[in-house]
Amino acid sequence: MKIKSKKLERSIPYIILAAIGVLFLLPLLWVLIASVDPNANSSIKVPSAFTADNFKSVLTDPVNIRAFIIGLLLSLGQGLLVVLVAGLAAYPLSRYQMKYKKHFMFTILFMTSLPITAVMVPVYQLFIYLKLQDSLWGTMLFLTAAGLPYAIWMLKNFMDAVPLELEESAWIDGASVWEGLRRIVAPLMIPGICTVGIFTFSGSWGNFFVPYILIQSPEKLPASVTIYQFFGNFGMVEYGKLAAFSILYTFPAIVLYIFSQRFMSQGFSLGGASKG
Amino acid sequence: MDANPVISTSTSVDSKSSLHKRKNKKLLSSLLFLLPSWILLLIFFIGPILLTFYFAFTNLSLTGSEAQATQFVGFSNFVNMFQDPNFRISVIKTILYLLFSAIIGQQVLGFILALLMKEKNPAFRRVIGIIVIAGWVTPEIVVAFCWVAFLNDSGTLNMILQHMGLKPVAWLFAFPMTSVIIANIWHGTAFSMLVFQAALDDVPKSIEEAAVVDGASRFQVLYRIVLPMIKGSVVTNMILVTLQTLGVFTLIYAMTGGGPGTSTQTLPIFMYNQAFVNYQLGYGTAISLILLLIGVLVSLLYLKSMKVKV
Amino acid sequence: MFFESAIIIASRSYIPFYFSKFEEGVDMKVKSYKKLAAISVIAGSVLFSSACSDANSTSGNKKSGDNNTISITYRDGGGTNKGLTDWLNKDVIPEFKKEHPKANIKLSPISASEGDYFAKVALMLKSGQSAPDIVTEDTFMVNSDASAGYLEPLDDKLKNWDEWSHYIENVKNGVKAQDGKIYGVPFNTDSRGLWYNKELFKKAGLSVPWEPKSWGDILTAARTIKKKSPGVIPMWMNSGKATGEATSMQTFEMLLYGTKDPLYDEEKQKWIVNSQGLLDTYSFIDTIYKEKLGPGLSQVLNGQGGTVAYTQLFPKGKIAIGLDGIWQAGNYRKDGPAPWPDAFKTLGYAAMPTQNGEGPGKTSMSGGWAFSIPKKSDNKDLSWEFIKFISTKENNLKLLLKENNLSPREDVSKEPEYLNLPMFKEASEFLENTHFRPSVDKYPSVSTVIQSTVEDVVTGKLSPKQAVEIYQKNVTRVVGEDKVIER
Repeated sequence: MKIKSKKLERSIPYIILAAIGVLFLLPLLWVLIASVDPNANSSIKVPSAFTADNFKSVLTDPVNIRAFIIGLLLSLGQGLLVVLVAGLAAYPLSRYQMKYKKHFMFTILFMTSLPITAVMVPVYQLFIYLKLQDSLWGTMLFLTAAGLPYAIWMLKNFMDAVPLELEESAWIDGASVWEGLRRIVAPLMIPGICTVGIFTFSGSWGNFFVPYILIQSPEKLPASVTIYQFFGNFGMVEYGKLAAFSILYTFPAIVLYIFSQRFMSQGFSLGGASKG
Repeated sequence: MDANPVISTSTSVDSKSSLHKRKNKKLLSSLLFLLPSWILLLIFFIGPILLTFYFAFTNLSLTGSEAQATQFVGFSNFVNMFQDPNFRISVIKTILYLLFSAIIGQQVLGFILALLMKEKNPAFRRVIGIIVIAGWVTPEIVVAFCWVAFLNDSGTLNMILQHMGLKPVAWLFAFPMTSVIIANIWHGTAFSMLVFQAALDDVPKSIEEAAVVDGASRFQVLYRIVLPMIKGSVVTNMILVTLQTLGVFTLIYAMTGGGPGTSTQTLPIFMYNQAFVNYQLGYGTAISLILLLIGVLVSLLYLKSMKVKV
Repeated sequence: MFFESAIIIASRSYIPFYFSKFEEGVDMKVKSYKKLAAISVIAGSVLFSSACSDANSTSGNKKSGDNNTISITYRDGGGTNKGLTDWLNKDVIPEFKKEHPKANIKLSPISASEGDYFAKVALMLKSGQSAPDIVTEDTFMVNSDASAGYLEPLDDKLKNWDEWSHYIENVKNGVKAQDGKIYGVPFNTDSRGLWYNKELFKKAGLSVPWEPKSWGDILTAARTIKKKSPGVIPMWMNSGKATGEATSMQTFEMLLYGTKDPLYDEEKQKWIVNSQGLLDTYSFIDTIYKEKLGPGLSQVLNGQGGTVAYTQLFPKGKIAIGLDGIWQAGNYRKDGPAPWPDAFKTLGYAAMPTQNGEGPGKTSMSGGWAFSIPKKSDNKDLSWEFIKFISTKENNLKLLLKENNLSPREDVSKEPEYLNLPMFKEASEFLENTHFRPSVDKYPSVSTVIQSTVEDVVTGKLSPKQAVEIYQKNVTRVVGEDKVIER
């Protein structure tokens, strides 16, 4: 009797977790199933047949391909810019002894938490003044600036963990500060740089609001906006295609997330290996 | 190990001041490295914030004669705003949204998940973890599609209800606020879960075991020992989740567009509608300013909670 | 958002573990990291430079001083403007290219709901980077966008264009802004009435052809349908913000202009913000939804609502009455979005009655669309050539045969092909008692107030009385206190 109740007690968490898991899974499951169902509707059902037509029709539309490429380039460009600019900024913040560094870092931290999308209306107006409206470059720069505070904060902390002695020995050999950063510090920070880069990329890949306001020409819209337009035009009719489009659009985010996890676990194991 | 999810600033300060000076001299040139970031932040981050303060006091418009002859109108945008019943509704909706989807929903569910998953079968833990995280990694706009389909008149939820002999409900119209709140919980819970998992991992097992040996019940251990130990994480997580939720636009916009009527019109949606649908950029900016000020307030709380740690 | 939180997680799990062990193995790792770094820097720079060059080519594709390229912006997506798109692609652009071999006409459609289109156009016109060379404007926006300085006045150009004299005077007024100048060349006009399904009417024992004499008759018919054919939507009217101007014009104004109180007092030049007409209009809408004579909210409060109604539900016999424009007949053409050969054996088109049958007994609203040249277009001359070319009698006729809309030109109206368009006779008769929207630059903002109050009434958030109060408050805020009166 006692054993039984203990068993029951032990299985309760499993039951609750499984229930939560199922509830979390249901909305997602629909996308997966509907994308291969030739007659998908809005509810989960066992498809009468399997088809790749939904994916095919999304992928054969040159407009979608263009949108994916633009989105990819926008996010890649932003990711690289953020890493580059934030990496540079992090260096003096980490190395140079300044009087007000603490204040400065707190300002950065403060900026990371401001909801920058709340100011999209003035941003739009600013873009008109700067003649950057409808420019992918401008959008990329804005996204970069929005991602900078966090990246600076992160990279500065990553950098703090790299001992200064390594650079000093390089300086003795005649290396400049820039060379020290590039040759010694940057390579040691690759995991940190990649982490920041990946998450910057994902953030901008999923960003709908910013390009929706800043980009007007249909031929310049990234995938995040075109998928919304597709939903607006056919969302209530072409469920299968919407699901396929969604999966294709979600794919890079998932892959990069997994990649970043791999990276981190690699970090652990490397640390462990060196110890042993 | 500290239980705070954000890493603290460097503690490795060199004490030898002469060495310090020599290094600093060498490093002086590195100050130039700050330049690109400063320029970008100044133009694209500080710039819009300063402009908010300016445009909020104008009658800037997207079309009509004011678009050409923009005038300074003093506080009239704010006077209008505080008289506008829709503004009041939006503030209430925003508070509800923050309270139920972020502070309560994501936090509590995230905590429950983290707590229950502790020391469970690793494979099981992994599967549940992956499912929950999948909702988080999915882009906001796709989250919206998933939920629109799920809650549709003939969607999965109604299908299940019908199998149970219940009547279908037009969820997005009968319970719009609940719908967007649940969708946001679905999307955001993984974050809280991960934070709490990390925090709970840091609670030494020996303390818990000692308490159990002393005859404390499971809930007593949780209340008296575990919760106080992870208080820092709870506070920081709450603030971060609040800040994230405050800026949510895409999810609501794609799911309901703020409607039906004004039912899900949180402040970001209200701002968008006034500026880009009703053509009133100046009024929209005034709403922007309010949002920004709320953000500043919460951010300051965040900094304060951090200061304890640094 | 995702980004920020992700990094917190990453740093949380990553840094303490990794870097606490980091220093122990620095020497061993430097080498392998260097390799990794080199690879990623090379890969990164390659990707970045390709990103830059591509972004460059996409952002600079039009504005390069190329005076043979013009872009046209209009609304598309989900079957919208299929007639217009076909006409541009198959009829007029190839013909124009014969005369101007170097010309390159680029279609630059905006894929947005009707509610979003006009704001998107204003966003485009405001900046020099995104402004197209020709934009299709609903005539209610012409005044507003012209007052904003977004459009080019065409008076000088029209002086030397003889065709202009063939345009109907009423329609010309629609493209005239408050400064008295003309800002667009209309390509269609329209009228609105009640589409109804004769078979459903017969089945419910209602007389066909249907000739409602008052709002009461409409309600009676809808109630009868509801009783006799339960699965059918008795009355479809655009009712939400997502359907934008269609909600204002096809629903709200079609009702309001059947009362004694219009939207705007033309004489005093003031907006009427409180009147019995307003209250009755909201009450009618309220009645439809309260008695469940309308569609489900999830169907109608949706940007695709109107499209779904006319391309799917009407052909399936799922709707009995629909308050909408003549152009909906174009859906059922052979190469339209929803071909339906027997459409007009089934569908009838009745005139909208005035509230209690007063006055002429019937009412309608007319609008229409025009081609305008944005002020920031960098190729106005070729744009004007193109507009002139596509607005000739023959080309305009071709468009209207595809769109099934009314012509802004008197001479087209005499063509037999045009006279044979389905429901053309009815739609033209509606013009006798039609109304135009107030040509005041604030109309678009008032219209958005209408849309949101109608949606609030439909969803039961506001009673008709409260709706009038909110309408009064918000319109006053938008147009200013000196520009409103009560009745």
